[in-house]
Amino acid sequence: MRLRARNLAHAYDGLAALGPLDLVVEAGERLAIVGPSGCGKSTLLAILGGLLRPSGGRVWFEGEAPSGSIVPVAYVFQDFALLPWRTVAGNVALPLEGRLPRTEIRARVGAALARTGLSDFAGRFPRELSGGMRQRVGIARALVVEPGVLLLDEPLSALDAQTRELLLEDILGLTEGATLVWVTHNLEEAVRVADRVILLSARPGRIRAEIAVPVPARERNRPEAVPVLARLRGELWALLREDARRAQTEGPP
Amino acid sequence: MTLVSSAPLFIAQERGYYREEGLDAELVFFRAAQPVAVAVAAGEADFGVTAFTAGFFNLAGQGALKVIGAQSREEPGFDFSAYLASNAAFANGLTGPEKLPGRSLAITQHGSSFHIMAGLLARKLGVETKTIRMVPLETLQNMQAALKTGQVDAAILPGHIATELDRAGEAELIGWVHEWTPYALGGLFTSTRNVERRRGVVEAFVRAYQKGARDYHAVMNKRDAGGKRIFEADAEPVIAIIAKYTQATPEAIKAGAPYIDPEGRLDVGNVYEQVALLKEEKLVDASVDPARFIDLSFISGHFNLPR
Amino acid sequence: MSAREVRLRARGFAPRRLPGAGAVTAVCVFAAWEAVCRAGLVSPFALPAPSRVLAVLAEMALSGELLAHLRASLGRLAGGWAIGMLCGVLAGLAIGVSSLARSVGLPLVSALFPVPKIALLPLLILWLGIGEAPKLATIALGTFFPVALSTASGVDQIPRSLIRMAQSFDLPNRAIVLKVILPGALPGIFAGARISSSIALVLLTAAEMIGAEYGIGALVLQAGHLMRADRLLAGVVLLSVLGVAIGAGLGALERRLLAWR
Repeated sequence: MRLRARNLAHAYDGLAALGPLDLVVEAGERLAIVGPSGCGKSTLLAILGGLLRPSGGRVWFEGEAPSGSIVPVAYVFQDFALLPWRTVAGNVALPLEGRLPRTEIRARVGAALARTGLSDFAGRFPRELSGGMRQRVGIARALVVEPGVLLLDEPLSALDAQTRELLLEDILGLTEGATLVWVTHNLEEAVRVADRVILLSARPGRIRAEIAVPVPARERNRPEAVPVLARLRGELWALLREDARRAQTEGPP
Repeated sequence: MTLVSSAPLFIAQERGYYREEGLDAELVFFRAAQPVAVAVAAGEADFGVTAFTAGFFNLAGQGALKVIGAQSREEPGFDFSAYLASNAAFANGLTGPEKLPGRSLAITQHGSSFHIMAGLLARKLGVETKTIRMVPLETLQNMQAALKTGQVDAAILPGHIATELDRAGEAELIGWVHEWTPYALGGLFTSTRNVERRRGVVEAFVRAYQKGARDYHAVMNKRDAGGKRIFEADAEPVIAIIAKYTQATPEAIKAGAPYIDPEGRLDVGNVYEQVALLKEEKLVDASVDPARFIDLSFISGHFNLPR
Repeated sequence: MSAREVRLRARGFAPRRLPGAGAVTAVCVFAAWEAVCRAGLVSPFALPAPSRVLAVLAEMALSGELLAHLRASLGRLAGGWAIGMLCGVLAGLAIGVSSLARSVGLPLVSALFPVPKIALLPLLILWLGIGEAPKLATIALGTFFPVALSTASGVDQIPRSLIRMAQSFDLPNRAIVLKVILPGALPGIFAGARISSSIALVLLTAAEMIGAEYGIGALVLQAGHLMRADRLLAGVVLLSVLGVAIGAGLGALERRLLAWR
């Protein structure tokens, strides 16, 4: 499924926060969005996911969602957004309830837990899990609906460095072939997960640069990929640096 | 309590009767009847004036209190408490107190003055007290609310409230308690300790109280030739004294003034009857004996003495 | 240079429950009370000994009077409290999710909460008579307001991201209320239940001012009027036992339903 946005703009209380900008996410493409703090990255993602009405412009899909898809777009949240009163399995089942027969829900949830390595934790409550495991549940819940597009809002930012590293590798494996939009402030993360990185300017966020990552996803962990990715990161940082500094002195919007 | 029934105490204070007797009296007021008796029993006050209730009799029966005189009473010809029927019950035949058996009657609490009045009425009618279905509603306001809406068939209420409800058409006044069961509303009492150890003080206090009661009687208990209660110009100073303590208007004082015996004489037989009827209903403990808590030696001429 | 040990400074300010302290305190209080009475320091009509109060309770239990009082009061408590809880939770959820309900309901609830329910008794009699209805209404009114407020604040404390998460999966509003908002507000609802259960017990006595033949409140009121301190204290003991029992029951339920915390 292809995701398109045209003339997209957003303002909070009359203060321009985003855009106007045009965007196309091709089917099967992995797009990362980076930018200085407060540039409207998360606002853009919320608009793409239908969680925020833009002040201007529109967003639409093209093409068919995969068969078996329950919701065209699924979201992964920075703070995991798990229901603390539901078990791991209960959280993953939530988007399916009332939409599929019970037996099918159980089968799908079981499969999603198995893929994300959570099978042994099905009966645990979120508070009994580490941060990394909680985000796995968030990812399992997004994957279980077999979405056309997966939107990830800083999915690793609440985790410590080692967990981040492990989970990043796992997410890449789990989402192979999926269309995804990954918002992050971490440039290294962006060049490792994306086929294409969009750099937004300081508020109001507009597209400042686009960089293609010339390494196939499977090969990103190879040693020879490391210098390539590091160079891309450096380029992004050079572009971002001044805006980031300005954003810091201006403070949050 | 700041009620007109306590007028002799106020008059004695204002006119210096306690001082003449060598007493330095201080009036202490309570918002309810029970604490008056408790305070005297506990020795925190020396004398008390309050209405008779089952609670009072239970406390007096413990031996700590002695009733030595009368408070006010339901005296024929002096309107004080009235029987009221709800409009619905009146339309349905409750036209007089004699028809109360089988009906419901709002009271404040079991064992209250209202309960005693109903019990005395039942006795006079020759029926058991429980044939009048008593509904405890705690406050006069609640009783009025229940009466107005016909939730209860009847209520006994102070005369000034009763005439007001009757005039407003919210209930029907069907009789006065004094027409059916004249009775001793309350008493003047002191602690047993005072009677035994400070007899002189008690006698002095009773003399002062009687002077106040005589002053009240002289001007507040008057009736004209037709038997109608009247208040003449000479009542004004007494009403002014009562107003000072009760914060009530002269009209309200006249409307709510009870009959008070000029000598503080008690209808003793009637008190025995009250205790007996409350014992029957197990509201007063079987061990309570009026002979042991009434001391007739301070005032002469008490009425209706039992043999 | 002389060596000095590092002194621990982070001490105190961490109260914890000493096991058995409550029971020991209770035993001491009752023992002292009994001793004062036995020694004749206070007269029995002013303060009867605990043994006397227990004897009264035993008498009432044997005669069946105790059961009649308990049955009447528990019925009123359960009925009035259930009505108040149900209405309070519904109102609190509405205030928590709807702008209209919040704008209209919150000022209304805040304005009516402090109205003393006992002052409304004559009105309740006018509206509802003197049967069970005004008694249930008194308790329900006392329960409604704290429950509505604490349910609303329970809803407010649900992280917005949970609601956005549910919306991101296109869950219908009904499912969001049932699966996210209601369970999320449960801690607030329980806080309201705890407060209101105590208020309901306090109001029981007020409710039973209105034409009650049986009931613990009626027992206490009547005993007060009759100067029967032993029966009065027996009623007080029943009320506090009831309070402790209800508190324990709610605590057990809370531990079950809020095990996820």
